[in-house]
Amino acid sequence: MHFTTLILSSSLMTIFLILVLPILGTLSPNPAGSLCIKEGVKTAVKLAFFVSLLPLFIFLNEGVEAIMTNWEWMNTLMFNINITFKFDLYSIVFIPVALYVTWSILEFTSWYMHNDPNMNRFFKYLLIFLIAMIVLVTANNMFQLFIGWEGVGIMSFLLIGWWFGRADANTAALQAVVYNRVGDIGLILAMAWMAVNLNSWEMQQLFSMATNHDLTIPLLGLVLAATGKSAQFGLHPWLPSAMEGPTPVSALLHSSTMVVAGIFLLIRLSPLMDNNPLILSTCLCLGALTTVFTATCALTQNDIKKIVAFSTSSQLGLMMVTIGLNQPHLAFLHICTHAFFKAMLFLCSGSIIHSLNDEQDIRKMGGLHQLLPFTSSCLTVGSLALTGTPFLAGFFSKDAIIEALNTSYLNAWALVLTLLATAFTAIYSLRVVFFVSMGYPRFNPISPINENNPTVMNPIKRLAWGSIFAGLLITANISPLKTPIMTMPFTLKMAALTVTIIGLLTALELASLTSQQFKIKPLSTTHHFSNMLGFYPSVIHRLAPKTNLILGQLIANQTIDQTWLEKTGPKMVASANLPLISSTSNLQQGVIKTYFLMFFFTMILTILILVV
Amino acid sequence: MTLTHYAFSSSYFMSFLGLIFYRKHLLSALLCLEAMMLILFISLCLWGLILASTVFSAGPMILLAFSACEASAGLALLVAMARTHGTDRLKNLSLLRC
Repeated sequence: MHFTTLILSSSLMTIFLILVLPILGTLSPNPAGSLCIKEGVKTAVKLAFFVSLLPLFIFLNEGVEAIMTNWEWMNTLMFNINITFKFDLYSIVFIPVALYVTWSILEFTSWYMHNDPNMNRFFKYLLIFLIAMIVLVTANNMFQLFIGWEGVGIMSFLLIGWWFGRADANTAALQAVVYNRVGDIGLILAMAWMAVNLNSWEMQQLFSMATNHDLTIPLLGLVLAATGKSAQFGLHPWLPSAMEGPTPVSALLHSSTMVVAGIFLLIRLSPLMDNNPLILSTCLCLGALTTVFTATCALTQNDIKKIVAFSTSSQLGLMMVTIGLNQPHLAFLHICTHAFFKAMLFLCSGSIIHSLNDEQDIRKMGGLHQLLPFTSSCLTVGSLALTGTPFLAGFFSKDAIIEALNTSYLNAWALVLTLLATAFTAIYSLRVVFFVSMGYPRFNPISPINENNPTVMNPIKRLAWGSIFAGLLITANISPLKTPIMTMPFTLKMAALTVTIIGLLTALELASLTSQQFKIKPLSTTHHFSNMLGFYPSVIHRLAPKTNLILGQLIANQTIDQTWLEKTGPKMVASANLPLISSTSNLQQGVIKTYFLMFFFTMILTILILVV
Repeated sequence: MTLTHYAFSSSYFMSFLGLIFYRKHLLSALLCLEAMMLILFISLCLWGLILASTVFSAGPMILLAFSACEASAGLALLVAMARTHGTDRLKNLSLLRC
């Protein structure tokens, strides 16, 4: 076998082995095996990251991709399921990014959760999640992808509900599972259709055989799966609620890795969507709606983690828009760069929250630029990368997406919404930075605010380097798969930057109004719409179950019990006869002699009439 | 009418009057009822003899059976009244009536 391919496959299998080894260590009955798992997990992930750089460099140098079939799991006459790994551009680039981010997050976790009694179990859950995510990313057939898909869903449930003593956390975990399940229906529909019509779940066979079929039904299923997993509009409320979990969970799952699984599925199967304009338009409009709706909701939130969660949701909508533009490569680029600065934003939030003694409301923060200079600087760098400041990480992906949107011949309404969402991104990013790090402190003086611990500073430092340079590194080394349009009018080229600067100026103006009061009471209809998340959770989570319960009561209690059994059934006979019986009994007075006398008179009358 | 006819009619009528115009005890009404049954029984027996026909020979036996049932029903009512009101005096039934 060719030497290069051998090294590629072996190193990727080594990564799997390194990551699985700590989990196997916890299975031993000897309790000492699981005591120092925290260090073991972090070392394993760091080692796996450095090992994964080898395939990355081989790929960058030679462009070699590999597909590795390991084991024939279930083989019947008609249908085969194998364990197959696909190491192409998307897996080889995503795995080092994911491992780098996870390494930083694990180091941060050892500081954030240091007084949690079950910290070892937390690390184990995070590692199992990472393994499931890598299985999902390297899957070459739908069955293995489904295994990874379900794995990340379950670990998300366990990790969101980490503090299960809190009722809100349990509700949020349940919400995550239920919304993901609704999306899973779509994935299973697509898998079933493929198994019946295309006879295989291997992606190579799917791509080659799918050109003759009408693929609308499975693609709709895949779009539904992405809607559930990546929190597009309609199945989005679980993502802000998932902030009930600890900050490392939010940083790893709900910003970098799990929520991009839906988008990744669409990227993997994008050759199926090439010729189907209906599905492409659906993705475009759904993504545009998501990005602008969640950006609107983020404008008036007061919890710092919720603002970052909504910004994640907005960026996911942007990725969906890119898929709708038939540019999966740009979507993948945005996934990789987004992982860096979003994870850093979450880690900075975690550091701020912990320093302020678990305060998450931005209205009670302030002046942290003097108290936590490094953290607030990294917060600013992350926000700038998020808004697409030129030549930071987010610029290369976000600007490329908006350029592709501007020069395409697709839905103009989606374009307008996306530009509006870009402006909103600048506004809420400035809002976070303004409330958190500028001005005077709005909290009680807490003495031990410091940045002395390297366990928390080094991860943020590494991710800051990533947020600044990752975009440049990735675009410089990986050539785009579709030719971008290079010439466009000047206004279109500058559109993203212009819109962002307009948003920034508007936000600065609004920020200066916070210390002045022009009216006694503000007009707050739009504020309520945005703050209550568009009333979507209130309607769906309250109205629908209440209607169902009322319907159940109507059927069981009123229809069956009260009507059929009491009014027209067995009890009706009794209740209709009782008045008759009582009135008849009341009539009889017991005067027997009078009754006999009447009988006598009747007899006499009868005899007289008949005889005479 | 013949003597037999007159004898039966008048005795039936007397028993009927005794049933209607009894005074104190329900038992006397029941006795008159039995007397009426008896007279009817004898009439049925004589009907076959006078008309010299055997058509309804089983008539008297059937009447006897039914009269026994009826007598037992009347006695059951008497016993029920004795259980609830203490005696079979008729005034007891409407003592609480104003």
